[in-house]
Formats: sequence, structure tokens, C-alpha cells
Amino acid sequence: MDLFLQLLVNGLISGAFYALSALGLTLVFGLMRVVNFAHGELYMVGGLIGWALTSNLGLDFFTSLLLVIIILGAAGYLIDRVLISRVRGEGEEAGILLTIGLSIFIVNTTLLVVGTAPEKVLLPFSNRPLFLGPVVVTQSRLFVVALCALLIAAAHLLIQRTKLGRAMRATFQDPMAACLVGIRSHQVYAMTFALGAALAGVAGMLLGSIYVAQANVGGLVSLKAFVVVILGGMGSFAGAIVGGLILGVTEALWGGYVATGYVDAIGFALVIAMLLFRPYGLFSRQAERA
Amino acid sequence: MQFERRFLLIAMGLAALLPFVVRDEYLAHIGVLILFSVTLAASFNLIVGYIGEFPLGHTAFLGVGAYAAAILSTRAGAPIYLTIPIAGLLSAATGLLIGGITLRLRGPFFVIVTLCFAEVLRLVANNWVGLTNGPMGISGVPTPHWIASQPILGQKISFYYIGWVIAALSLYVCYRFVYSNLGRGGVAVRENRFVAQSIGIKPYRYALLTFVIAATLCGFAGGFYAHYISYVGPEVFGFPFTVSMIIMVLLGGKGTLVGPVVGPVVVVLLEEYLRDFQDLRLSIFGLIVMAVVLFLPAGLMGFVARRRETYAPA
Repeated sequence: MDLFLQLLVNGLISGAFYALSALGLTLVFGLMRVVNFAHGELYMVGGLIGWALTSNLGLDFFTSLLLVIIILGAAGYLIDRVLISRVRGEGEEAGILLTIGLSIFIVNTTLLVVGTAPEKVLLPFSNRPLFLGPVVVTQSRLFVVALCALLIAAAHLLIQRTKLGRAMRATFQDPMAACLVGIRSHQVYAMTFALGAALAGVAGMLLGSIYVAQANVGGLVSLKAFVVVILGGMGSFAGAIVGGLILGVTEALWGGYVATGYVDAIGFALVIAMLLFRPYGLFSRQAERA
Repeated sequence: MQFERRFLLIAMGLAALLPFVVRDEYLAHIGVLILFSVTLAASFNLIVGYIGEFPLGHTAFLGVGAYAAAILSTRAGAPIYLTIPIAGLLSAATGLLIGGITLRLRGPFFVIVTLCFAEVLRLVANNWVGLTNGPMGISGVPTPHWIASQPILGQKISFYYIGWVIAALSLYVCYRFVYSNLGRGGVAVRENRFVAQSIGIKPYRYALLTFVIAATLCGFAGGFYAHYISYVGPEVFGFPFTVSMIIMVLLGGKGTLVGPVVGPVVVVLLEEYLRDFQDLRLSIFGLIVMAVVLFLPAGLMGFVARRRETYAPA
């Protein structure tokens, strides 16, 4: 029973991490209908910038986090204005190819600049274990989970409560009508992508303090994020959270009770099963397939 | 149709004559790589161009073919003229399974689930040590006696001709496919799914058949790869092969028959030429993919075709 509780807590924690890393992806897909294959790479860049700022430049954690948000946001804004805006309205395939090209470029350029070595973002909290009854959690993990929850709530409020968020939702419901009432839609698209990129970067930096920040981690992150997003339904925040938790818990239980070799395959098996039986996700109501 | 047929015949004819002119091991090796890539690109192009979906997990079939050939020849001692066809058949079966599931999905879902399948197969190859020897891979896939007994140049040229036969077969299959009702149906579905359905084309069945054909060709290429490199590891399921397939087909022009010949020639030569910039190479490839999507959406052949139309007498 104790083992089960411990595995469950581990799973919930890594599930929260998965949810955070999938948030940017689900946002960009849900609002812009762009499937961002460079998501994992933005995550990786965020982690590496976080590492460079905290351990090379010696900045404190929260300043670095803010800088990462700004840098990745600006990068996302530029990516949208320079690349994605050119293929807007040409269907999904052009966007998919463009972001695949972008991800190849980012990974290999980063490998060139930073190399393959795994780096760690410095965290102001120690790795000291906390004993909560039969369950052991480290301080740093608890802190990062709390920050995850905070960020998810902040992103949700940004989209639901602010003027920019309203403009976003209006644009993606009906671009033409949004233009007619004076919303600058090109600006809104760029800001949405910037937000998606910033969320990816923040996730990269936070998780770079728990796991590692490494140049070639992006592919796996993208895949896991896709798994989470499909499990929860594309474009749904609540879905991303639940999808992340499902994935985290299933992986932890499978790894604890069955075998560790195939842990990474669990997510893919879940996705394949999911798309066969509920192709529109657990929460989304509308069907995605023709 | 005329242009395509002539182009393919002349290109393959020249390729068949090439070994009489080239007496250099390195150039023969590049020739083998080009022919191998032509087979891959032809197979990838069938799905991209004639189903209109984007299979990011196409390496699944390459890997299944390569592992099938490697296991058959090292464990059972099967000769090369059996292993490559069996590799194709096994890939076809895999294609039937994967296609049967994924072709019900569209757009991003198709892309991601095909990628998931390739990733699952890679994990299986990594973990099923009893069958695949795990991360170590299978080394020492035997070269047939009649090839192994020759000097190195002769070996390369023998492989070149095996590759030529496979590439020629693939292109022939693609040619017959494109100008059959199946290919025309595929184009109709790609252009307008609902109109196609209204005139009695069954998109799912057509797409599945196309998918299986593409998987078979890719399996042949995989079997050939296993014998030529004489080593197969889990990385055959990896993303780099997919990337080069994407670049070759996009650059050549998707949905054309000439594109999968032009693309591999350009890409393999470019790759060799850029070998001096080893580390920069893949970054440049990323830029090329983006540039092609933005500026040459129909690929080199689409560009050429447009120029031809512009200058054609009215």
C-alpha cells in the first residue's frame, strides 16, 4: 500500500510536469490550429537559457525565469511573424512542415553552440526529502509543482479575463468578424504563439531544475506533449492537466509494478487506444475526424 | 505522362550505365546511397502525394524491413534474394496494421500517431534483446558469397546493381500506380474528399492499399540497407531517416513521379558536399526545409513545370 501511495504521488508530480510542458502546445493548437512540432525545441531552449542564466551568469532563479519568459516570448513572436504568418490559411500541412524544419534547425544549431552535455538549472530549494506519512517527496519537486499550478492558473486567467485573451478568443472564433470590430488579428496570432513559446520555455526551465536541460531532449518532450494533448483533447486546458496526470500516473504505476523498459511506450499505446475509441479526447465535444 | 516516362527511362538507363564510367569506390558508394534514397523517396511520396497525409513514422517500415532481413540472414542463413522480398512482405503486413489504424485519422492526428508507432517499434527494438539484440543492434549481416569474393570496387558495384533493380522496381510500381484508377482515385481524394466519395471512390480503402504498397517498397529498401551496411540497430527507426525522406520528397516535388528521383540526387550530393561543414549540415537542412515550404511549395519539379508552362507556345 505504501509503495502504491509513493508511486501515485510520483506519478501525480510527473503528471503535473507533463501538463505544464504540454500547455503551450495545446494553446497554440487550440487557438491557432497550428501543430507546433518545434514545441519541444522551444522547451529545450528555455531550459538551456535558464541554465546559462542561473549557473553561468549567477542570476537568481526568479529573475532568470522572468528573462526566459521574455526571451522565449520574443522568439515566439518573431517565429510567428517571420515564418508562420506566411503559411496562414494554407491548411495544417504547411505549418507542420515549417515547424519540423524549424525544430531541425533549432536542435542542430543548439548542439553546435552548447554541445550534448546535460546541464542543470540551479534551484533555490534543496533536494532534501520531506516525509509526509509513508510518502517521500523532495522539497524542490514540491516547489516546482506549486509553480506549475500557479503558471497554469495564470495562463488560464490571461486567456479568460484580460483584453488580450478576449481578443484571442474572438479571433479564433471568427477572424473576419474580429477584424471588423478592430482587433489587429496578425498581432493576436503573434501574441498567441509568443505565449505558447513562453510557456514551453518556462516548462523547460522549471523541469531543467528537476531533470536536466539538454540539447537533444526536445524530440521526446514534443512526443510526450502530443500524447498529453491528445489524451486531454487538443486545445483544452483542463484536458492538458488531466491528460498529463493520467500519463504521469500510468507511467509511474507501470514502471513500479510491471517493467521499466517499456515505460516510454505507455503513452504511445494510450494515444493509439485513445484515437481509436475517443478520437476527440476525453473532454472535447466536437469530433476532429472527417 | 510522356515527360515523366521519358525522364524516368532516361534517368534509370543512365544510372545503369554509370558503373561502366565510374571506377571509384567512393563514387560507387554515393551511387548506392542515391539509389537507396530514391526507393525511400518513391515510397514516401506515394503517401504524401497520393494519400495527402504526412507519415512522420515512415521509418517504421524501413526498420521492420532492415530487422527482418538482418534476423533472417544471421539466424536462418537465408540468402539475399529471399531476405529482401520477405522484408518487403513483413513491411507490407506492418503497413496493413499501422495503416488500418492510422488512416482513419486526419491531419495532425495522423502525423502524430504514425510517429508514435515508429517510436513504439524503436522501443521494442531497444528492449526485446532476445530478438533484436537490443541497443547493440545486429552486426555482421552477411554479404552474399558472389559479392564478398570480389574486390571492394566490385562489391560496391554489385550492390549498386541490386539497389538499381530495387529502385527501378519501385519507380515502375509507382508509375503504374499513379496511372491506374487507384492513383487517380488517390488524387481525387486528396483534392476533394467529398466529391471523390460522391462518385464512388472509397477513400479509406484506396488509402490503405496505397499505404501498403508504400510500406512494401520501404521494406525492400530496409532489407537492402541491412545487407549493404551489414549492421542494423534501433536507430533505423529514428528521426534522421524521416528527415531526409521529408527533405528529398519536398525538394523534388511531392505528388510527382520525377520528384523522388531529382530530390535524392540533389540531397545526397548536397550531403556529401556539405560534409566539410559536418556540424552545420543539419542546421542547413532545417533551413532548407523551411525555405522549400515558404518559397517552393511544389518543389523543384513544380517550379520547373511552372516555368515550362510559362514559356510553352500558346
